[in-house]
Amino acid sequence: MTQQLDLSDIQGNVIKAYGRYNFQKARYLFLRIDDGEKGRKFIGAITTKVTSALPWGKPGDGSAPPIPQATTNVAFTFNGLQALEIPTASQRGFPEDFIMGMAKRKDILGDDGPSDPANWDKVWKEKVHVWISINGQSIDAVKKRYDWIQEQIEASNGGVVLLTGHRGEKGEDSLPYQDASVLYDATGMPVPKEHFGYTDGIGDPVFEGQTNVAARVLGRGKLMRDGTWLPLATGEFLLGHVDEAMEYPKTAPSPWLLAHNGTFMVYRKLHENVGTFNRFLDEQSQIFDGSKEMLAAKFAGRWRDNGAPVVHAPDDVGKAEWDRRYAAADDAGKKKMLTDFTYNEDIHGAKCPFSAHLRRINPRGSLEFGVSNAYDTPGALVNRRRILRRGLPYGEVKDPARDDGNHGIIFMALNADIQRQFEFVQQQWINYANDFKEGNDKEVLLGNHDANNPGKVVLAAEPGSGKPPHFVSNIPRLVETRGGDYFFIPSITALKLIAGGIVDPT
Amino acid sequence: MSNIAGKAYAMNVITPIRWYMTWINKLIFKTALSNPSTLKGLVTLSLIHYARWVIIPRDGFPRLDPSQPKEELNYSYMLFFSNFNGSWDQYVDSFTFAIPSGLDLFWKWNVRYPKSVPLTPFHNYIRHNQIDTAHYYNAYPMASSNDVKSAQKIKKALINFNTASADKPPEEFLNDYNKLLNDMQHHFGDMKPTPIVSLSADAVRKRYLQIPE
Ligand code: HEM
Repeated sequence: MTQQLDLSDIQGNVIKAYGRYNFQKARYLFLRIDDGEKGRKFIGAITTKVTSALPWGKPGDGSAPPIPQATTNVAFTFNGLQALEIPTASQRGFPEDFIMGMAKRKDILGDDGPSDPANWDKVWKEKVHVWISINGQSIDAVKKRYDWIQEQIEASNGGVVLLTGHRGEKGEDSLPYQDASVLYDATGMPVPKEHFGYTDGIGDPVFEGQTNVAARVLGRGKLMRDGTWLPLATGEFLLGHVDEAMEYPKTAPSPWLLAHNGTFMVYRKLHENVGTFNRFLDEQSQIFDGSKEMLAAKFAGRWRDNGAPVVHAPDDVGKAEWDRRYAAADDAGKKKMLTDFTYNEDIHGAKCPFSAHLRRINPRGSLEFGVSNAYDTPGALVNRRRILRRGLPYGEVKDPARDDGNHGIIFMALNADIQRQFEFVQQQWINYANDFKEGNDKEVLLGNHDANNPGKVVLAAEPGSGKPPHFVSNIPRLVETRGGDYFFIPSITALKLIAGGIVDPT
Repeated sequence: MSNIAGKAYAMNVITPIRWYMTWINKLIFKTALSNPSTLKGLVTLSLIHYARWVIIPRDGFPRLDPSQPKEELNYSYMLFFSNFNGSWDQYVDSFTFAIPSGLDLFWKWNVRYPKSVPLTPFHNYIRHNQIDTAHYYNAYPMASSNDVKSAQKIKKALINFNTASADKPPEEFLNDYNKLLNDMQHHFGDMKPTPIVSLSADAVRKRYLQIPE
């Protein structure tokens, strides 16, 4: 099954992680629509600048448009679609999770205590209808596009309002936008890091219809019985396409054109408690049989410095060896070393713990627990739980001993079914572990650990070695939710239908 | 009314099967039971407490009392009864993806069985034939079947350890203790309340226990 996607119809952020194309800066805007007619006109204007998924050419070769200085993409909450007055019959096709929105799903997501919507940035108390993203090659390019959008808002004559209430760098809490940016090293070079120091942005699912699939599918598609990898079905990430259950996504709005080539986006502002993380790692590494970096790697499933997968670099010695092989490998070889792995040789989690972020979030074939041919395919329980990640870090760590700055990740996950994909992973695999036979043990980095009843995880030792496993106890809450919502990213055709007020499911 | 009690969900599905075909199903059940590898997918799906398939002959339905008139039934029925941890969707989806051919084998002779893939017709078939649980009691609402299995293993291992090692000198005791930890390392998961299965089920629970919103 090969399939050609209509890349001119799909919004660019669905197919491309802009960060990989040197878009180092981003700005996210949230708007309210006060007047349907004026709102639609505004969306029509924005649509003229919406970036599609068409491939970009190299500068000067003329074959395809070159990389722009800035991109723009648009998505809506359910309330936003109502404010734009799409017909009730179309509204009814949307799934319950999307209709409710993120705040009302807090009990599923584990957004409690410091992550409770009551503690989110003020903007989330507003009626959020529209999300507009700008990704730029430079902050100037971002600002220029931002100014242009403000002109359109101005021109809407009160029909559209830019919402304020984002927390910012200097303690302000009423910014009209959320900025995000790659991080830079001491010499000012961009680095693929997040604020805890991990290397991020390595693995994203590969699905049918993307370009250059063969080169990228290893460790990123779905794992087959013979050990090969195939791209996932398009319908896992785009509505209007067949998914892994060999059908069109169950809940999609009608008419077909409204759903086709669209998808759902989970937007979450995740604050990182950097001071607590650093203290916790220091303390815990005192009692850990291995280096501090090794322990940090066991939390994530990858080493902080270069992203080496822990399953292939399980301890300090193994890491040194892995690094030697990595240094000797060519570019393609390096990529393969980073992504092409399974947990088959580590069924007991003695190398990469079950509780590691990477293993919890994409267990690859390991939910067969080494029982040969238990399921139809090794990834049977995993292939329908995959998400595309499109986030960037935000803020700056000014004092690595403190939590209270403004620093974290703007996390965006794209999937065809929020409940089945994102919410399932968040609830069942991050904050619970029955599927991993670890009871209620939460993932170290992302779990909503409770200060009054703190959790633990067990880092398994080699079975039969007689060595005790390592217990990581009293885990504090390292990541807190600061806001977010569920959005629908329509195709460009659907955007035009919405803007034209001509959505008609009859 | 709820199909959910604590971490467990009870599912009853009863599907018509032509009475003259039931012998095939009985044969299939027998073969599966005597050949455990056919069920290893089911067993590896650790969210399942157990699953049971039973054929009820068309003249074999129980009556509460001999005075209750016998029903004239055109079909025999297959009762599928299972208790599992997690949500309906999670369970049915795991089934479809993990062991589609096993499902098709067991239900194949049932009337209007659509096959397990694609998913939606299968979902509809199960929903249509599911009988909701009127009353469901769970003695250990906080325990999943994995929790119970782990607790049993740990209890046994601790008792053995106590017998074998309690009086050993410190050095040896420590060795034995470390070995015990190693042997039991996959059974130390915390046992805490269930992640909520659905918002509506949670609302019912909160009203019942009078927990304020
Ligand atoms: C502050 C919060 C987070 C941090 C610091 C973080 C960090 C990381 C790191 C370091 C990696 C490894 C790099 C890579 O494989 O690309 C990773 C991978 C990943 N993360 Fe996160 N993450 C965060 C939140 C989340 C959330 C909320 C989810 C989803 C619910 C998520 C889903 C994933 C996925 C799907 C992968 C790729 C796993 C794979 O395919 O093997 N992350 N994350």
